[in-house]
Amino acid sequence: MDSSDPARVRRWLSGLTKSSQRWIRATVLAGVWVGLATIVQMALLAWLVYQGVIEHQPVASLTPAFLVLVAVLVLRALGQGLQTRFAARCSEEVRRDVRRQLHRKWQALGPVALADASAASLAREWLDHVEALHGYFARFLPQMMLSVIVPLMILAVVFWLDWLAGIFLVLSAPLIPLFMALVGMGAEKVNQQHFETVSRLSGQFLDKVRGLTTLQLFGQTAQASATLHQRSDQFRLITLKTLKIAFLSSAVLEFFASVAIAVIAIYIGFGLLGYISFGPSSELTLFSGLLILLLAPEFFQPLRTLSQHYHDRAAALGASAEILARLDQPASPTKTTGSSSTNDAAVIAIQRVSLCYDTGPEVIRNVTLTIKKGETIVLTGPSGGGKSSLLHMLAGFLQPVSGSISIFGKPAGEQPFGWLGQKGFWIQGSWADNLRMTSPDASDIAIERALHQVGLADLVEHREQGIYSKIGEDGQGLSGGQARRLSLARIFLADYDLVILDEPTAGLDATSEIHVLEALHKLSEAGKTVILSTHHQALMTLADRLLIVHDGEVKDA
Amino acid sequence: MRELRPWLNLILQRRGRLVIGALLLLATLISGIALLALSGWFLTETALVGLLFAAGIQAYINLYVPGGGIRFFAVSRTVARYFERLYNHNTVLRLLTDIRVALFDQMAQAGHRDRGLQKGAQWLSRLTADVDALDTLYLRLVAPTALAAVVTLLVVLLVWLLLDLETALTALGFLATAFVMASWALYRRTQALSGELNDRHEHLRSDVIEHLEGFSELTAAGRIGKHAALLKRQSLALDKDQAVIETQAGWHLSAAQLLINLSAVFVLWSGFALFHKGAVSGPVLVMLPIVLLGLNEVYAMLPDAFGKLGATLAAARRLNKDVEPSAVQPVSPATSSTLIASDLTIGYPGNAPVMTHFSLTVQEGERLGIVGASGSGKSSLADTFARVTPALTGTLECPPCAYLTQSTVVFEDTLKTNLLLGNPNATDADLWRVLELVELAERFTRENEGLDTWLGSGGNRLSGGEARRLVLARVLLSNAPLVILDEPFTGVDTDTRKRITPLIDRWLEGRTVISLGHGPEALLPSDHVLHLN
Repeated sequence: MDSSDPARVRRWLSGLTKSSQRWIRATVLAGVWVGLATIVQMALLAWLVYQGVIEHQPVASLTPAFLVLVAVLVLRALGQGLQTRFAARCSEEVRRDVRRQLHRKWQALGPVALADASAASLAREWLDHVEALHGYFARFLPQMMLSVIVPLMILAVVFWLDWLAGIFLVLSAPLIPLFMALVGMGAEKVNQQHFETVSRLSGQFLDKVRGLTTLQLFGQTAQASATLHQRSDQFRLITLKTLKIAFLSSAVLEFFASVAIAVIAIYIGFGLLGYISFGPSSELTLFSGLLILLLAPEFFQPLRTLSQHYHDRAAALGASAEILARLDQPASPTKTTGSSSTNDAAVIAIQRVSLCYDTGPEVIRNVTLTIKKGETIVLTGPSGGGKSSLLHMLAGFLQPVSGSISIFGKPAGEQPFGWLGQKGFWIQGSWADNLRMTSPDASDIAIERALHQVGLADLVEHREQGIYSKIGEDGQGLSGGQARRLSLARIFLADYDLVILDEPTAGLDATSEIHVLEALHKLSEAGKTVILSTHHQALMTLADRLLIVHDGEVKDA
Repeated sequence: MRELRPWLNLILQRRGRLVIGALLLLATLISGIALLALSGWFLTETALVGLLFAAGIQAYINLYVPGGGIRFFAVSRTVARYFERLYNHNTVLRLLTDIRVALFDQMAQAGHRDRGLQKGAQWLSRLTADVDALDTLYLRLVAPTALAAVVTLLVVLLVWLLLDLETALTALGFLATAFVMASWALYRRTQALSGELNDRHEHLRSDVIEHLEGFSELTAAGRIGKHAALLKRQSLALDKDQAVIETQAGWHLSAAQLLINLSAVFVLWSGFALFHKGAVSGPVLVMLPIVLLGLNEVYAMLPDAFGKLGATLAAARRLNKDVEPSAVQPVSPATSSTLIASDLTIGYPGNAPVMTHFSLTVQEGERLGIVGASGSGKSSLADTFARVTPALTGTLECPPCAYLTQSTVVFEDTLKTNLLLGNPNATDADLWRVLELVELAERFTRENEGLDTWLGSGGNRLSGGEARRLVLARVLLSNAPLVILDEPFTGVDTDTRKRITPLIDRWLEGRTVISLGHGPEALLPSDHVLHLN
């Protein structure tokens, strides 16, 4: 199950093909169509030359053939256009599938495990890596099939025209798999090397840009620029060394294609002169000779195109490996629905619950606790004692290893509830957008009221557009305290029965602290079940019941 | 197109390399075309002579020149191609450096960035994408376009020389239309969509990041699926629009190639008439359409670049904005030894001021503490003192200062390089002394490389507290008469802080120090403390 195993990554990637089979097939079909049209086009050209130059046919009598040729050209162009049109759609389903898979994984991992990965890299997987799959399905995969089919079609025609010329091409045919491997190895190397250089260079550049203010403060920008230049040059020289070898492989393909054309041209020339006394060459005419010559480069063209698309494959494999690594990330065991032994809708029942991370020691040990509806419970105790773990389990973000949790008769996390972590969160948009994230149907008045409850109303009141003004328009964004109060406003707006808060006042400034305290008081007064963890003395006064969580065990204070 | 000019100028500074690279490209293409054209000529010649032989007529044919030519072009195509790729790759890598260094220099000159306008990480990711877009400017856009134009003209010239002007001009008509189809027309058609795609992509990225930041809250509220569906819909729309551009590029290419093929057919048709008049020989007549068909390969390079040109231009536009000299220009360092601020308005241009009517005098050697909650404007104040942002109004006299910003910036480089930023003239002994002071010396003597220890990306081999002490050491190395420390001990544990505070205090003896923090315990010992509200 190693996600870095290339064979497994390849299998996973080709497994995705199923949903797009239709488009890939259409792309290949259009490609074959273009191949056929090309053969006919070349045959007509050769035939016209033969009729005009050898048979001295007047132009007028060739007009119908010319018109047919024009028609074939139009058909070929149509095929070409359709090929790209179909190709553009090839990965639509794939991308949708993979995004769905990734999101399902995120949900399975849950907020706690997800918070360990950086949001930026998760977003990169979801957007950029998924996008990197496109080239593989749209270009590489169809071209891979075409680079077998089209040369075979051409080979058949050439054999029919002159088997000896066909043999020249066939001689290079067994070499095709070899070419493919060569080109592949080369292209992969080039791609990898280039990618590495660019990303190292970008890394150096971004590192300097990120610290630009610091460099400016110390007056060291010129020095940094010189370093950037010098490092880049080092990368370049290393890269070029590899490229010298890597480019050789595509030069080999190029060389064989050129030599095959040259050999065929000279063979046909000598055949036409009658210098070759064996084989089929005595039957060669300008028509068949010229046609073979015109088809020879088309024989190699699909392979050359394939080598251009090789970097698509490498990019897709690289992206797949990372996506697969994410999909392989072990999630906590699936929700054990229905295992709760209590169905009492008036209490939160925690029964003999234990929790450990991976194979580590138990962070929660055999805890049993009953919380009545409408109670305000405050958990306190030393950090690392298990407060957060307990809250995460009540939220359904973590599943206990043993025991059961029932929230008002339902498994944890099944009913919507209010959650406030140590970081509030806000989106780029208006205050209304932010509050409607969780309560899409809320009225404007309700939103204003909710903002008022958490003391954010004055940030909105003086704005022309009121709750429809953008957050952070003043270039300041929200402070940590304001963001947390915004999250609290969402909780007020949604009117949940249960509200869970993990250290709601940690690191807050005095103003925000007072507002949070007041807000919690209001929630508690309104008969909500409030469960929170804190070190903060003032918050503990809110408690109907104060619990100390220490070393994985819970005791009444 | 104006937005590309500064970047094109930058690229053109390597004129010599560009020309050689283009010539190698030209040689590759011409070898390829010549190989086929000469072969076609040769076949026709041999076929005609062969007929004479068969009829028993004496005829002479020179096999050596065309045979040698065919062999030559077969080899020259391979060799030219190999060196062209190597040479142009080298050029691209050089341009990559040029672009980044130039961009960095210009950003450094442009003054301090207005802060807070963009989320840092997203701005950086956009910057990366934009710079990448310009990397391919030469090899994918400039070179193929120039090459297609030159080769087209050469081919038309050949038709004129070998056939006649009328045919040449008609062929030129076909080819010029093909050229416009594959380039300008495609650009005009995709410009708008291609230009906005990038923005939408970055917008979606911030939406996804917000989704992840709010994952707990959204999960709790039972809204995670709904919000994800929104993101999925946006991605799908983006995918579809991308497909639209690809499809349009495909149709334009097929139209261009149709026109090229038609020009070949036309030249053959028109050549027949001349052939029957005896104005042109059979082999030459056969050669010309083959040459024209060879143009397909040249034109095939165009649509991809022109379909993306809208996006490239948008990227260039954004980068030009990034290097625009900002309104915020560093003021020439004053020589005053006392800090005198009178009636300052502090804030960012265009936004509500953070602080008004702020006056303050700090005497030489004084220790001032400033305490304020997050959002009280203390970092803006520190930025103003350090001249990262100028005061909106009022006057400020300030000695040169060393400034520890609130954010911890560790460069992906050695420990030594990171420290020397503070004082390029510091000796190794100085560095060890200051490391000793912030209790990092022991940690780095344990490393094999000592001062040359590589600090990974963003200093990620250091813990938060270590990184903070490192940048603190960097500031302490500076000899500036004024030292401004904004939250000097973020992430440093209490015990360490208590141990190192008096040492730092002694180290800075005689210098003016302003330390800022959320509470008195976060400051250096101060003569007096200012509370911000």
